[in-house]
Amino acid sequence: MISITGLRKSFGAATVLNGIDLEIRQGEVVSVLGSSGSGKSTLIRCINGLEKIDAGKITVDGFDVSKPRELSEARKRSGTVFQLFNLYPHMTAVQNVALAPIEVLKLPRMQAEAEARELLHSVGLTERADAYPSQLSGGQRQRVGICRALAMKPSYLLLDEVTSALDPEMTSEVLSILAALAKTGTTMVFVTHEIEFARSISSRIAFLDKGQLIADLPTEEFFSATGMALPRVAQFLSKMRKD
Amino acid sequence: MKFDLSILAKHIPFLLEGAWLTLQACTLAVLGSLVLGLAIGAMRTSASPLLNRLAAVYIDIFRNIPFIVQLFFFYFGLPEIGIYIDAFTTGVVALSIAGGAFTSDVIRSGILAIDPGVIEAAQVSGLRKITIFRKIILPIALRASVRPLGSVFINLILTSSILSTITLNELTGSAKIVASNTFRPFEVYFVLLVAYAALTYSVSILIGMLHRYLNRHQEEGAV
Amino acid sequence: MRYGDFTPFDIVLLLQGLGVSLALFVSTTLIGLFIGTVWAVIRFYRVPVLMQLVTFVAELLKNSPVLVQLFLVFFGLPAFLKINVTPTEAAVITLSGNSAAFIYVIAVSAIESVGRDQIEAARVFGLTRWQILRRVIAPQATAFAIGPLTGLLVNQLQVTSLISVIGVMDLTKVGNILNLRTLKPFLVWTAVGLLYYLTAKLVTYAGARFEKRLRAHTAWKGL
Repeated sequence: MISITGLRKSFGAATVLNGIDLEIRQGEVVSVLGSSGSGKSTLIRCINGLEKIDAGKITVDGFDVSKPRELSEARKRSGTVFQLFNLYPHMTAVQNVALAPIEVLKLPRMQAEAEARELLHSVGLTERADAYPSQLSGGQRQRVGICRALAMKPSYLLLDEVTSALDPEMTSEVLSILAALAKTGTTMVFVTHEIEFARSISSRIAFLDKGQLIADLPTEEFFSATGMALPRVAQFLSKMRKD
Repeated sequence: MKFDLSILAKHIPFLLEGAWLTLQACTLAVLGSLVLGLAIGAMRTSASPLLNRLAAVYIDIFRNIPFIVQLFFFYFGLPEIGIYIDAFTTGVVALSIAGGAFTSDVIRSGILAIDPGVIEAAQVSGLRKITIFRKIILPIALRASVRPLGSVFINLILTSSILSTITLNELTGSAKIVASNTFRPFEVYFVLLVAYAALTYSVSILIGMLHRYLNRHQEEGAV
Repeated sequence: MRYGDFTPFDIVLLLQGLGVSLALFVSTTLIGLFIGTVWAVIRFYRVPVLMQLVTFVAELLKNSPVLVQLFLVFFGLPAFLKINVTPTEAAVITLSGNSAAFIYVIAVSAIESVGRDQIEAARVFGLTRWQILRRVIAPQATAFAIGPLTGLLVNQLQVTSLISVIGVMDLTKVGNILNLRTLKPFLVWTAVGLLYYLTAKLVTYAGARFEKRLRAHTAWKGL
């Protein structure tokens, strides 16, 4: 379980997250929605320890991410997929995926690379396994990014606007993989702008507005009268649908 | 007086011995300055203010004092405190220290040019700091630094001629001997000048090739 | 007082040496600036033969050790041409030529930094090549060149230390004399190094000041 209590985070004078309480249990797919600047991405970056939190507590399976000793344990349990892929440019797709299993899980290279190829095969990149990131399309790169996160067999997958840098065709490429993952019961925290997709795969929706969690509802309720009763949610949904 | 190179023919083996010494000194000094440059460059980009400051002072000092002064400092100074090492070792050490300052500057800008997102990806996958440095930061920074490192190393070759001032008979030192034995300083130093230019030119060609080889996957661009 | 001890006069000696270093640094920089710019203009006009010659000479000077150039001028020229060359003359010739080669490279890239479209626009307005060079290119190229030029000057200041090898009484030579007399190498070379360091810092500071003023000026004009 990922447990967030009383999380506060500000950059200088700007408060980005202002008292967040959220729990993500094993097997859930939680989409985090909200307009740009609502603090969605910062939330993910706090969970994986890329940002130091100012107040509150985040634990991943009981490991406190603000304690340096426990952070590495917490990080082993979650995998992150980034908006801009952030692949290692000097390594092939297989090497990107196999690096952490070799270095952190101490798997033998052969085994790690075999597993990496398996993963790449499962996202349709069998042929491109030995290509370097610069030789891949955006959608292909993001699929490698997903494999890299999955290679550590994380309990939780953190997805930070993973389709924002992709064109529509590539977006659907990546989303179909995520939908398949959701079906297999992978726990996901999904920060996104893809409302319809979020609706189709999530078990819950968390809605952030100006650094506060103003809705945390089961998906069906969020998109029904209950959600619409919240003015900010209604406003957001109507605006996003118009676009 | 006519320009006559033929008188140099019988001194070529002696000059080649000097060239061989230059090559040895430069190879060792390149390795030395690479090791020092990596260490200082890593310190210069580290989160610790103390290490950062120390590295900055090191770079500042050795970049702003003439190499010959540094060389004399070590050559005449070390025996004073009971360290007796030969001229060759002193020269290699001094070259490495000075070269390290320039190398670390190159390494530093190579490191700073890395996309922070790539390093974050490595951090969240649970890699240890030292592993991130070895497997991610260093290979990326070094690939990007091949050309500027090449100019530093070419400068190192040119600077190595100064080792002749501490009795080391490397290429320049042995040419000095030939010049005074043959009374043909113009021919000797002219040939020497061309030899150094040819040497550094071939090194720069090799560096260009190395750069293209190491960055062959970067240049193909995205599909 | 032992014969080998320091005397208050040594301070004067060091400052005299510094004065000689500075005088040679300033004069050869000015000469180098002039020659290097002329070379760059030759290239700008694409003067046949001369242009190739200039490029070749600049490459040769950039890619060979200054020490060897110094030996060629000081030992080689007198023997070859049967003329008399004093250490100071040799120093001036060599350092000027060397500075010119590097300044030439900076000037060429500074000229190239001014966009082709600007030059074409100026040509459309009927400006001659000389007018374009003076009114359009020169002001912008100067602003561009100050940064690299400051770096070069710090380097050339250090290069002057090599003339001590042919007997010019510069700061390093004074260091040599004091070193032999007092046998206190650490102290002597630290003092010498410090003087060079401070001078280099002064050059860097002056360059930064000058660049700031120049940039402020162009920014103001652009508004």
